[in-house]
Amino acid sequence: MAENIDDENKDSENIDDDSDFNIDFTTSSAINRVSLKFLIVYIPIFWFSGMIVATFWYGYTVGTEPWIIKLLFLPILLLAFMFLFIISCFFFSKLLLIFINLIHLPKEGIFRTEKGDTDFEFWRLRTEIKKIVLWLIRNWPLPWIDVLAFRWFGVSMDFSSHLNDAWCDAEFIKFGNNVTIGQGACIMSSMVVGNYLIIKRITFDDFSLVGGQSTIAPGTHFGKDTVLGAVSVTTLNQKLEDGWIYSGIPARKLKPNQYAEMRRDIIQKVDVDEEEKVEVEHEVNIDEDKKHLFRRKNGGDKK
Amino acid sequence: MSVPNSMRVGPFCATVLAKKKYLVLYIFLIWISLLPAILEIWWYWQMLWYDIRPLHFYVFLPLYFIVMYITTVFAAIFFAKILLIIVNVFHKPREGVFLRDPADRDYRYWSLRNTIKKWPTWLAHKFPFPFLDNICFKVFGVKTKFSNSLFEGWVDTEYIEFGKNVVVGQGAIIQSSVIIGNFLIIKKTIIEENVRIGAHVIIMPGTHIGKNCILNTWSSTMVGQELEEGWVYNGGPAKKFKKNRFFEDIPIEKLTKTVGDIDGLLKKYDEQYVKRQVKKKIPLKERRIHIRKEKSEEKPEEKTEKKD
Repeated sequence: MAENIDDENKDSENIDDDSDFNIDFTTSSAINRVSLKFLIVYIPIFWFSGMIVATFWYGYTVGTEPWIIKLLFLPILLLAFMFLFIISCFFFSKLLLIFINLIHLPKEGIFRTEKGDTDFEFWRLRTEIKKIVLWLIRNWPLPWIDVLAFRWFGVSMDFSSHLNDAWCDAEFIKFGNNVTIGQGACIMSSMVVGNYLIIKRITFDDFSLVGGQSTIAPGTHFGKDTVLGAVSVTTLNQKLEDGWIYSGIPARKLKPNQYAEMRRDIIQKVDVDEEEKVEVEHEVNIDEDKKHLFRRKNGGDKK
Repeated sequence: MSVPNSMRVGPFCATVLAKKKYLVLYIFLIWISLLPAILEIWWYWQMLWYDIRPLHFYVFLPLYFIVMYITTVFAAIFFAKILLIIVNVFHKPREGVFLRDPADRDYRYWSLRNTIKKWPTWLAHKFPFPFLDNICFKVFGVKTKFSNSLFEGWVDTEYIEFGKNVVVGQGAIIQSSVIIGNFLIIKKTIIEENVRIGAHVIIMPGTHIGKNCILNTWSSTMVGQELEEGWVYNGGPAKKFKKNRFFEDIPIEKLTKTVGDIDGLLKKYDEQYVKRQVKKKIPLKERRIHIRKEKSEEKPEEKTEKKD
């Protein structure tokens, strides 16, 4: 087996020079060069948020209620303390992030992974800071509220879409409504290729779906009702069209997404401009006798 | 960012069915490594707790919890290392192919070593500081630099060497031991400088990855495969995809090109694997001649062997 592979490797050596610089593969975006100086940031965040919890704990111990009642409320209090700790971690890390973004604004582009490059250094610092809260929130018993953390850190999304089973960068990502992201998927808005760091915005349109264990490269655009199959990889800046099922490495069209048409509900899309409010209502495959079951926003005036 | 539950691939040791008698050692380790933390909190109480409840007791408490956690990790590493040294005196760990059977001494001691290492590695990985992981790996005999980020992937705890600036991607698996059927294979994996390992990559024991390599996502290597330096590798088993020139000084305009032709790229990916079959396609008539030739070649050889 090994000999056969070596023979073929010789054939692939003659490749044009122009295609050498094409980024037609996807690697990872784990931070290289973990520097200890950034970890100093962790300690004040932990300390201050721990102090807030400690003051509440002080109040609990000082209180003059009978000890049975105190014990009865201890479990719910512990949960509340955990939540308080996470929320205060949020607060302090967000405060730090604001200061850091004032010094250097995060921006898209291609940067060098060298010590002198300010964009690279600040990218590392930002990811280190964001890591604490996201790590904490995913390890406590209610991981669904990580949407809150992502929203605070600059990913535009709401509670209709969820990604608590996926690895996701916390900046330069835009979600539509009802986006589902599968288990173990990697959504990377930043990628380390050789000596270069690529940061580019990823956009998900409404109702798009990402399969389990798939990897999404920076710059990918998901159209409306697009489905990406499991174990598939998108390339840099790939545009996935509306209403198609994609799969494979690299992702290519498999078949049109019929499930999108079969969805039986009313999709309401509200576009709010600066001056006027436009309301568009789509009806998709609803039986005539069941139409009255849906509640209209304007009290059925449009009938 | 943070590794979710479905990708929870922290540096635990490989799936070992721990024997019940090994669990005694495991529980002993947990017990003894928690003792220093309890001693610390007692000392803290003695120092700062007076008759009137003082404020500074509460002010420094959260900071002290971090110190306590780190001391438990270090205590766990310390006692595990002592146990490992004792175990290694009885039986020295070695590379090779062993039977996966309780009767086999190497297999038994391999699983014993892994049960000992599990508690400290688990504890270190449960903390968001990446450097605790690296200390753990260093003590247990993995050659790494502190600057390497091994936090996002799964890494075995012995017989691995890392160079500088290695990036291990999200959910990547780097093994130095693997169970195949009834056999246990232990072999040293070496990863040299500036290697970028993509997300979900699986690296099998005995792989040698040269300098400045890039591994594409979802690629995997074979047992004992050697990857030459300065190439981009792709697929499973990993094959050369193109020359890696991303460590050179490139004008940034060249890098911003998007891949327009996805079908062409797919063909390029597939060609690496389909080629072998295409080469062997011979029309029927020629194939018959080919087979006859092979048979005629084989016969005289057999005869000569018999004569000898």
